[in-house]
Amino acid sequence: MFKAPKWFTVLQYVVMIIVALFMFFPIYWIFCNSLKTLTGISAFPPQLFPSNPQWSNYATVLSNPSTLLYLRNTLILCIGNTIGTLLSSSIVAYPLARMHFKGRSVIFAIIIATMMVPTATLVIPQYLLFRAFGMLDSFWPLILPAFFAQPYNVFLFRQFFVSIPESIDEAAMLDGCNRWQAFWRVIVPLGKPIFITVGIMSASFWWNELFTPLIFIDSDNLKPLTVGALTSFQLAGGGNQTNWPLQMAFSMLMIIPPAILYIFCSKYITEGIKTSGMKD
Amino acid sequence: MSTAAVSASRKDAKKPKRRSDAAAGWGFLSPWIIGFLLFSGFPILFSFYLSLTKWNLLGKPQFVGLQNYVDLMSGDSELGKTLLVTFVFTIINVGVSILFSLILAMLLNSKVRFKGLFQFFYYVPTIMPSVVMAGCMTLMFNPQLGIVNYVLKLIGVTNPPNWTGSNSLVWVVVAYASVFTFATGQQMLVFSAALKDVPTELYEAASLDGANGWQKFCHVTIPGIAPMMLFNVVSCTVNSFNGAFTLLYPLTGGGPGDATKVLGLLIYDKAFKSFNMGQASALAVVLFIIVAIIGALQFKLMDRK
Repeated sequence: MFKAPKWFTVLQYVVMIIVALFMFFPIYWIFCNSLKTLTGISAFPPQLFPSNPQWSNYATVLSNPSTLLYLRNTLILCIGNTIGTLLSSSIVAYPLARMHFKGRSVIFAIIIATMMVPTATLVIPQYLLFRAFGMLDSFWPLILPAFFAQPYNVFLFRQFFVSIPESIDEAAMLDGCNRWQAFWRVIVPLGKPIFITVGIMSASFWWNELFTPLIFIDSDNLKPLTVGALTSFQLAGGGNQTNWPLQMAFSMLMIIPPAILYIFCSKYITEGIKTSGMKD
Repeated sequence: MSTAAVSASRKDAKKPKRRSDAAAGWGFLSPWIIGFLLFSGFPILFSFYLSLTKWNLLGKPQFVGLQNYVDLMSGDSELGKTLLVTFVFTIINVGVSILFSLILAMLLNSKVRFKGLFQFFYYVPTIMPSVVMAGCMTLMFNPQLGIVNYVLKLIGVTNPPNWTGSNSLVWVVVAYASVFTFATGQQMLVFSAALKDVPTELYEAASLDGANGWQKFCHVTIPGIAPMMLFNVVSCTVNSFNGAFTLLYPLTGGGPGDATKVLGLLIYDKAFKSFNMGQASALAVVLFIIVAIIGALQFKLMDRK
């Protein structure tokens, strides 16, 4: 490989730092505004570095009982969906990767096809279905579907299971395991990386999810953080006024968990994306 | 299920060993079968049926034939308007995502130190929740106190615009917000992996032939990642139909007026604000058909590889 001249290396770093500043600016701006007062936020020109940081904004947000309630609801959704999809999607993926029976390729094709069906197409009948079950305004419509395998996650599990040598489960079955035992005792432990990847993706998805809670949840005490962020910072009496400093403090708190997850699990995130991004 | 059992037992006659596979296979698949019937198969068919009815959730749906489709297409043609808006949104959203993810991936692929740190700064903004991002954008683009208009004033623009209040300039905000979507971060990682697979010998050979950076980009990098790029553009397009609501609902709410009211937002309004289930379902069917066409295209692309 040729040696890059020194000015080129410097230029590279400069460009990379400028791009990093550009990308990170919104997060900085949220942080910066979370430390201002309501009047400070309306000051013009806007202050790039708050002169009198109001750390108490964070205390105000965290001591608000509804914040904790929203957090609890989001955690229920994240945990429920993650457990549901890890169990069901891995079980469904196993025969698609391993077993040979008539109809397998048809099923796999249907699963791939349903991966693309937009949520907005399904949501009206699903709403009616859960209405008929009497499950509206509860967590059921949001969590229950995860226990019946989600096409995209089935696909990810299947891709990973295919890469495990078939001789491994054959050996287990020669030792007297049936398919179910071979799956639980051999494939699940070997599949740990993909379980972590799908788990992270599912948890982050539900940390962000807005559309379905907006449709299925009415009661304030069942709303997740995303819906709470939209509605709970309107100033009393002021038409369409928002308490920006508190909303920004709330926002900052919502950014921290995904960022921490990334720091500790970036390896699994990148691996999962590579598996999903391409190839058959 | 029953036909499967029959076909499995017919096979048993010849190959007794296969029996356990078919039975166990369908057993393992059963969660998906239930889920598919309840949460996708039935809903798709029921959407088609509802689109032929008039219903406000009270009483029984009333069959009206194709009336909903006729209504959507006649007069000021709500459907035409929303399809145009959806088209513009998709182009902007996918274009910005792909462009930025490619730029970021190429930067990450250069020979520098602290790569992990740079990747953190490039990736983390794309995973912030969309409601959070929308709140921040609203503040940044605020006509009176936003930092964007402050910067514009600094560089001599005397009368900076009201971004989210203008039918055309709102798209600038949408484009800027598209940089910070989940799709950008994801595609960045995909491109980053693909760029590593482009053989370095090709770059060396190009250098020997006296190619400059731009020429190497055009003649080595782009052809090297082209097959995947095409695939990514299509899957990004499908994702953007799903992501449109999550991005736009908190950011613009479809406004100003109906300027950014994409199909997903219109379906939500029709179904859950005005309870016009028939028209909402007709729109859902239209959305389904559009995505099915793009999906078929994606299959073609996958086949060719």
